[in-house]
Amino acid sequence: MYTCGIDIGSVSTEALILDIDERKDYKILSYAIIKTGSDSKTAAEKSFKMALSEAKLNRNEINYIVATGYGRVIVEFANKNITEITCHASGVTLLFPDIITIIDIGGQDSKVIKIDRTSKKPIDFLMNDKCAAGTGRFLEVMAKTLEINLENFGEIFLSTKEKVDITSTCTVFAESEIVSLIGRGVAKEKIIKGLIYSIADRIISMVSRVGLEAPVCLTGGVAKNSGIASAIEEKLGVKLQIPFEPQITGALGAAYLAGKI
Amino acid sequence: MSVLSIKTRIIKNIQDNLNLGSIKRLLHTISNKPVLALYGSSIKSITDKYLNIYTIRNLNEVYSGKYPVAFGSLFLPYELIIGLGLKPFLPEIMGGFTAGLGISGRTIKAASNNWYSSDLCTFHRSAAGACEMDLFPKPSFIVCSNLACDAAGKSFQNFSRKYNIEKNFYFIDVPHDDDGASLSFLSKQLENIFYEVSGKLNKKPDIEKLKKTINCSNDFRKFAIQANNIRKELYDYPQYFNGLNYILPFFGLSGTKETVNLYKIMTGELQEKLLKQDKNKKMKKVLWMHLKPYYRNEIFNILEKNNCRVVFEETSNVFWDELDPDKPFKSLAKKMLSNPLRGNGENRIKAVQQIAALYDIDGIIMFSHWGCRQSNGLSRLIKESFNKKSIPVLVLDGDCVDINNCPAGQIKTRVEGFAEILNSI
Ligand SMILES: Nc1ncnc2c1ncn2[C@@H]1O[C@H](COP(=O)(O)OP(=O)(O)OP(=O)(O)O)[C@@H](O)[C@H]1O
Ligand code: SF4
Ligand SMILES: [Mg+2]
Repeated sequence: MYTCGIDIGSVSTEALILDIDERKDYKILSYAIIKTGSDSKTAAEKSFKMALSEAKLNRNEINYIVATGYGRVIVEFANKNITEITCHASGVTLLFPDIITIIDIGGQDSKVIKIDRTSKKPIDFLMNDKCAAGTGRFLEVMAKTLEINLENFGEIFLSTKEKVDITSTCTVFAESEIVSLIGRGVAKEKIIKGLIYSIADRIISMVSRVGLEAPVCLTGGVAKNSGIASAIEEKLGVKLQIPFEPQITGALGAAYLAGKI
Repeated sequence: MSVLSIKTRIIKNIQDNLNLGSIKRLLHTISNKPVLALYGSSIKSITDKYLNIYTIRNLNEVYSGKYPVAFGSLFLPYELIIGLGLKPFLPEIMGGFTAGLGISGRTIKAASNNWYSSDLCTFHRSAAGACEMDLFPKPSFIVCSNLACDAAGKSFQNFSRKYNIEKNFYFIDVPHDDDGASLSFLSKQLENIFYEVSGKLNKKPDIEKLKKTINCSNDFRKFAIQANNIRKELYDYPQYFNGLNYILPFFGLSGTKETVNLYKIMTGELQEKLLKQDKNKKMKKVLWMHLKPYYRNEIFNILEKNNCRVVFEETSNVFWDELDPDKPFKSLAKKMLSNPLRGNGENRIKAVQQIAALYDIDGIIMFSHWGCRQSNGLSRLIKESFNKKSIPVLVLDGDCVDINNCPAGQIKTRVEGFAEILNSI
């Protein structure tokens, strides 16, 4: 059976196609990652088409489709909507069957999910509160202010020794704090190091509320930022498992759960 | 004309003419029998119908200017107020009403223009704003307590200044412990209020009327217990039934004949539903802790769609013993002391644990209303106490009155995610 999972996030949209056999073994046939942009409906459609074409399948060959992520309700062609909490949990446990704690840092949400050791299903979760402080969008805004490519943050974090603390959690205030630090001649590298630590701190606080239990997996686009991953590892004292493509775990879980409809 | 259009028109009227005069006129018009009958005619649930009609009539009386009005905080023994012949008016509940009427944006802004801090709970903030905008009837007395909510004493004191009745402001100090000394300390305060207010009303203290009110309260209590017992088996509810809609009669109007009637009707309607319900249908049973958003929201529909049902609310718990009409002050003091929100968190934890066991609860939603220290401060211990029993708890951050402080998309994901967890167990 062919299934598709579509994860429409606030920043990126992923579509992933699975081939699932009777024994529930699966094979990833294709996936597509695109920017969600202002029209999430079009993004869902476009990513689906891209994944279909890469898998060399037609739309009508897909047996079931599950949509997840913030835009899940707008995907009219999906058979079912499932939240990103359940989908991430499912996707991650497929890749790493022993994982207990999942940290997902996306564009506007960060969440920590706790998996039950025996049932392998989520039993608890926590999401960041209303504002986007400490999430991917926050980092994007800061990268723009610093005029440094976000992709380079990881490398800069690892090669810089000192940091300056960023005290504002609010995106707007943090931005002006950075502007004034630059004005005072503080090296951008130190600012980046401070920024990454401040985000890691917020994530650690969520992890401790849910209760840290290893093994821990980091997913979401921000997992591609090796600086964040190292800072979290350093503070938690635990090695993080990171999927080969951290942005697709939601779509993978959705596609796998589509096989159970 | 359907009830929806009447309701929509009433709400629109209030939104368009937000001042005391038009609220009074509107209440007067809709309290007319034929209009009320029309209003009630298409509300399906008879309990809901009675609740709506009773609330409108009650507010019309309160706003009419014909009776002395007492503002009161939520957890007062309202039997005392009603027994004194005063019409109770609960600003905190009216704060919730402003949300339902879609005017809380304006009332909250008015509060903020008048120095109310944005970290004060919006039940108080919205009420304070409404008060500043002169949308409330003028009270003769203000009575409040520090039971559970510390904010009431402070914002209500402001109200007493605003209405120039500082001498008629009464603060009931509820002790931390539940012992003999606390009981006599508290009952003495209630007794003093009774005699002093009677004097200020130029009335002879009417203990017989107080006793009658207490008897009514006992009758209401009996029916409320019956309704709660039925709910142990029930999941097939009248449409939109939610115990959190009954806060006003349950707390503020306990002691009126109408509240007795309301709960009698409720018992009958729930019993009927119980007899007819499909015994094979199973839903996940949710206990709701603290209050809920009072503006239009999707939370309960989301739960419903996901096979979950709020089968009991913390606020529907009949926590007090039968009152003794011959010892009115002592039994009302006892009622206050037996509130699980009094004292340290252990009382509340114990109470909700008992409820969870009685109602065979699968999961808890604890609504964490912005600015409510007394409730939110306990969320960790509540969560831990249920997790020990493998009952999942969702601490849902949001705001019961300010829709702008409670993004629908985020709430939806959390509630759906929680429902998915409950359904997978
Ligand atoms: N190559 C990269 N290097 C560093 N950071 C990256 C990279 N790619 C993406 N990101 C970060 O990932 C974020 C987006 O993450 P993701 O795609 O998981 O979000 P989303 O699922 O759309 O959002 P949400 O789940 O909050 O709705 C971006 O805001 C950016 O900070
Ligand atoms: S929600 Fe909390 S702070 Fe607000 S009135 Fe109720 S008890 Fe007081
Ligand atoms: Mg995401």
